[in-house]
Parts: sequence; C-alpha cells; structure tokens
Amino acid sequence: MSKRQLAMVMDLNKCIGCQTCTVACKTQWTNRNGREYMYWNNVETYPGTGYPKNWMELGGGFDAAGDLQPGVIPNLEADYGVPWDYNYESLMGGQADSNNFHPHVSPTWGPNWDEDEGTGVFPQDNYFFYLPRICNHCTNPGCLSACPRDAIFKREEDGVVLVDLDRCQGYRYCIAGCPYKKIYFNPKISKSEKCILCFPRIEQGLPPACAQQCVGRIRFVGFLDDEESQVYKLVHKYKVALGLRSDYGTQPNVYYIPPTESPAKFDAEGKIIEGSTRLPVEELEKLFGPAVHDAIKTLKAEMQKRKETGVSELMDLLIAYQHSDMFRLDNNYYQQVAKENKRNPLAPVDTRYIAGKFTKAGGHH
Amino acid sequence: MKKLLTTILSLGVAASAALAAEPAITAVKVANVNDAAAWSKAKFQTITLYPQTAIEFNDKKANELTANAKAKKAEVAALHDGKNIALMVKWADKTRDLQQCTSSDNYSDGFAVQFAGATKKAQPLPYIGMGSNGRPVVVHLQKATPKVYEPNGNKNVAYQINRQQTGVFGKELADFDAKVASLANTDYEKVFVGEGFRTLTEIKDGSAKSNATMTFSPAGWNATLVRPLKDAYVNLNGTVPVSVAVWDGSKMGRNGLKNLSAWVAINLEGQKANAAMVSELTTDPKGDAAKGKEAAMMNGCNGCHQVEATDPKSFMGPALTNVGGYSTAAYLRESILNPSAVVVPGYNRNAHANTPWYNIENGKRVSTMTDYSFLDKETVDNIVAYLKSLKAEVE
Repeated sequence: MSKRQLAMVMDLNKCIGCQTCTVACKTQWTNRNGREYMYWNNVETYPGTGYPKNWMELGGGFDAAGDLQPGVIPNLEADYGVPWDYNYESLMGGQADSNNFHPHVSPTWGPNWDEDEGTGVFPQDNYFFYLPRICNHCTNPGCLSACPRDAIFKREEDGVVLVDLDRCQGYRYCIAGCPYKKIYFNPKISKSEKCILCFPRIEQGLPPACAQQCVGRIRFVGFLDDEESQVYKLVHKYKVALGLRSDYGTQPNVYYIPPTESPAKFDAEGKIIEGSTRLPVEELEKLFGPAVHDAIKTLKAEMQKRKETGVSELMDLLIAYQHSDMFRLDNNYYQQVAKENKRNPLAPVDTRYIAGKFTKAGGHH
Repeated sequence: MKKLLTTILSLGVAASAALAAEPAITAVKVANVNDAAAWSKAKFQTITLYPQTAIEFNDKKANELTANAKAKKAEVAALHDGKNIALMVKWADKTRDLQQCTSSDNYSDGFAVQFAGATKKAQPLPYIGMGSNGRPVVVHLQKATPKVYEPNGNKNVAYQINRQQTGVFGKELADFDAKVASLANTDYEKVFVGEGFRTLTEIKDGSAKSNATMTFSPAGWNATLVRPLKDAYVNLNGTVPVSVAVWDGSKMGRNGLKNLSAWVAINLEGQKANAAMVSELTTDPKGDAAKGKEAAMMNGCNGCHQVEATDPKSFMGPALTNVGGYSTAAYLRESILNPSAVVVPGYNRNAHANTPWYNIENGKRVSTMTDYSFLDKETVDNIVAYLKSLKAEVE
C-alpha cells in the first residue's frame, strides 16, 4: 500500500457517453507508436460486450484466499479490434475515385462496436447506461502481482500504478492478471503500457485529461486521505461511490456513483408502468457489490432532501458548479515530494485545482 | 511383492538416472571462432532441455498448451580461440514462430545461454533459475523477433506519430516511412545479469559484447552465440559451466515458459579442466532413489511441494516435477540441509499472499521450509537421488 492514494470518482448518472474523455486520452497518449489500439480510457455501453470483448470473463484478479487467478490475454483482431486507417493518399492524385479509397483492414470489431445497443425489448423495457473505464490504480494490483520481473510498481507518493519500461520484457502476464484488462501490450516496442493517471499533469496542477475534458463533469479527482476532498466525501463520508467489481479483490481506486435514475417501463399498450424502473438493481449489484443498495438509498434520500429543503452537501458536490470544485490535486504535496526526491520542482501551470491537505492556497471562485 | 516393486522402481530410476548427467562438451580450439568453416571441427553432444515447472504462471492459455510438456533434445557444440567462446545449439522445432509487431498475443521462438559469473568452485554453482544471491549469472538471449522499437523512439518523438498524421504525401511520406523503418531494432539480442529469478537486468551500457544468430530450417533451429571468454562479468577458463534454454513461440513460450538444461560442463581445449566441476556435472549422485522416495514421503515434502506430476499443485514451495532435469545434486542437497541458502525472490509473493514461502529477517530472505539438516547422510543421499530422477520424458 502506498503512503497516499489518489482516487477518481465517476458519477454514472451524469455520463452522456460522448467519448470526449476517450478522445482526450487518445490524443494525449495513445494515438501513436504502437498504442493505436489501446484505450487507456474507454466508455462502454452496459450491458454490452465491453472493451476488450467480454473482459469480465477473461480471468485475473484474486480469489477469496488471496491467490492470483489465471487469465487470458486478449487477441488484437478478435477482442480489441484492429484500428483501421484509410489510404488518404489515393484521394490526392486529382482523380477522386472513391473505389480506391478504402480502410487498410476490413473492420470486423472495435471498441464501441455495440454502442447504445443495451438490452431488453424496445420500447417496453430496453435499457443501457454508460460505463467509463480507466485503470483502477488498485491498492492490490493484479498486474503488479503477476509480473515476474518487478517491472510494475505503485508510486509511494500517490499510489499511481506504472510500468517500468526498462524492466518490462513483454511477457504479458500482467494482462492476464488484470481483471479489468486495463493494461495493454504494445507490439511495436514489445512492452506493456497502461493508463498513468496523467501523473505528469497532476504533478503540475492539472487534472487527468479525461477528467478535465469531461463535458458531463462526472469525474472527481483527489486524495482519499484528504477529508476535504470530493473523493473522500463521496467514498467515505456518504459512501455513495463504489469500486467496480470489487469482488476481483484488487481494491480498485476508481469509484462509481451508481446510476439511480432510469425511466419507467412501458406496458404492451405503450403506457407507463408506474413505479417501475428499467435498470435492474441486480445488474448494479453485480458491478458494484451489495453496498450499492445503501448507496442508492442515500442518493435518493439526499435528492429528496434537496427538493424539500434546498440543502444537500452531497447534491451540491455531485452537481459540481465549478470545475475547481471537482479536483484537489495538492500541489504543495507534490512540490515537497519532488524536493525530497531531488527532482526538479515545477511550478503549477494552472492554479485552480491545486488545493489539498497540504496545500491551503488555490482555487478561485 | 513389495520387494519386487522396489526392484522395479529402482530399475526404472536407474534407467532414467543414466540419462541424468550430461556429458562434458569439448570447446575445440580453433584459430578464429568467427570463421564459419571452424564449425567443421566441432564435436556435438546431445543434452536434454527440461520444461521449467518450478512455478506456474497465470496465463491460462499458455498453461493449457504446456501442461504435460515433454523434455527436448538439443545438439550442442563449442569452439574457442583463446579470446572468444562460440556455442552452437540445434534443436527440433516444427514451426518458425516470430513475434510480430502487429499482434497482442503471439510469441517468438528463442534461445538463451546462461554463464555462471566468475566462479571456479565446483559447487555450489548459481541456482539454475537465473542465479541466486551472491552467485550471479550472465544470460545471453536471442529471440526471433523481427522488429522492435525503443519506447522513447530513440528520443525522436516526431517519428512516433502515425503516417496519416504527418500531413505529407507522396515522396515525403515514403521518406517518413523509410526513416521510421530504419529506427527499428531488427535484432532482438540482449545480455542480462541476474542474482535470482526476477532480478534479471539488461546490460545496456555496451559492456557485454555478444553476437547471437538463429537460423531456421525444416529440421528446426540452429543457433549460435559468440562472446568473449573474459569480460567484466565472467572469466571463463578450464571448465565452463553453461545452461541452455529454448522457447517455443507456438506454445506461447516466454520467460519461465521454456525448456532448459542443467549446468553442462564445457572443457576449453588446451586448458586444464576443472576435474571437480566436470565430475560434479557429469556423474550421477550416489544414493537409492526408491529409498529416497520413501524418505521424501515420510518427511512430508509433498506438504508444500508438488513432488511428482500426479501430486496436487502447491503455491508454497516450487514444484519439483522436473527438478531432477535441471538442478545439480549439490543444489538439491544444499536446499535440503539449508533451505535459506537459495531463496529466489521468486514470483511476486503478493500473488499468493497467504502462502509465504519466505520471510524477510534482517534484510535476508529466510525460507519457511523446515531445516532438514537433522537427516543422516545416507537419507539425504537417497532423497537427492530420488529428486534427480524427477523429470519429464523426452518428446
């Protein structure tokens, strides 16, 4: 366990599936150099096949006895989908012949192949919701435990899980060991790579690209030991943010506000079935564990309280009026760590999000 | 009946034990090991490479492919010219497996040669699995990986972007492609130092010279390695202990999913052989394997180890199912009498947090295995003889 732990909370009631986070991450980190197929951040439609295909069935994680479980390494063509590209050059010869313009591989699969499909019968009871996923920067990472070379480590200062590319020899046991399949093999450099929680941004006072660009303002970032942080309040104070598939035993540090709001079902005549809800709570329990019932209860009660009294700290938090209300990146802390480790301390490039347990200043209103 | 059974058992053990010790190899003295014609003088010996089964990794598909893996034969010869040593290893492989730059789950064939760090003692040699504390090894690795790129793009970030993002077409794009192709490292050859499994570290400062090749034919692979007899890491003279490993990409082989030999003695022609070491590596241990098996049962070895392939798997101690194939008798004896002498950092302990096979005391790994130094010499000899008989059949 690291000294401190950075965490992210994602409010699934607010995710609109726009993929801005996906694109923010891709353009920042993964659109080049063998990472083209990787999505360190993806937004999948749940229920759905997910990315990589059926990742929940590919093993990894720990059993109740604490033993690492064997897993399967997904196949690029079948499970991730080859990112196809076009021969733009064919359009540049003056003869704009659309017959010559084609993808370099025939697309057969890709992330979001089944976007917005969901399940159920339209229009009676079909439903889906969006599930954005990044590396969970687990407290007990399956990838780290699987590595026979000590190439994966958890940063002492903030619990970010990283791959040491000098030590990595491309064995890929980490991919089998991660139950979320959020670590990928880069075939061009023959090493594993993964989400780095944008640590170079965080150290300089900027939230991760996925979180800062999020138009739905669903992502909160901060330290779990900072009682003033949004993540502390959502995870520990109100207990409305829960880890995804905590049953895998890796103690994930990305938490989700379960989707509580879903429309009612229709009967055969197309009339609303009063009191019904499309989203089966069993599905939420499968993803977020039995604590999801209490979380939903708290969320509903606070929503009601807000309607009646106009006051609810939890609702105000989740509304996130200001971008600066969503992130507490504790810049002084990182400056201190840099100093202790004789690294170059860098001035924050943005002062809006730098407040934290050890950073009193910052935050503008 | 019991007597007959014992006789059959010991006969069986004797038969397989005859295969146990590998012959010594003579490194023929030639004028120049880099002269291809010199190989006509080489004297080939057959050695056996056993599947590594001490620990099982967490790759489900690979484990299915390597379940009940058999041992392989390899033909090995050596040359030396006073400055360099050259090894040739030939082994059968039906398929030429290359790790492609475009796939997430394919693996290459490969081979490696392990040298013991400067040592003259016949025993204890470094632990076969990449050395042990204070007993370093140097490992030369060659993989049939056609192309890999440096993670930092040789610090040339402009050439990491995709071709369609360059914004250029025609000749300029062709130039870009050519430049990118030229940045690829087309020879996956690496040299490592290690003091135990998981400590292997690549030598990247150019201080370890080597030249390895792999050539495929329908018969299989023919691999060569040339390295200096003396450098900052080893000082090879007289008798050189080496160990050979091969990987089969079609079986998802990489890292520990390999076949490896025990330490094999190579005598440098024209130099005084290290008689003690040759004897250690070419003679079968004394002892009654059948009695050793009984003693192993009585002392509860299988409480923590998977001793024979039919025993249940255990996360506690390494599986011993092929230990006779790749371990020296000296190592086995040492591990019985002083279990903490070699405790590899091993598979990440957190993978099986409730079965800790060592504890750290005063900064040292202390094995959780019982110290069996109370056993009498004969019993230990018998157990060692039994353990030496544990190995897979040759395919």
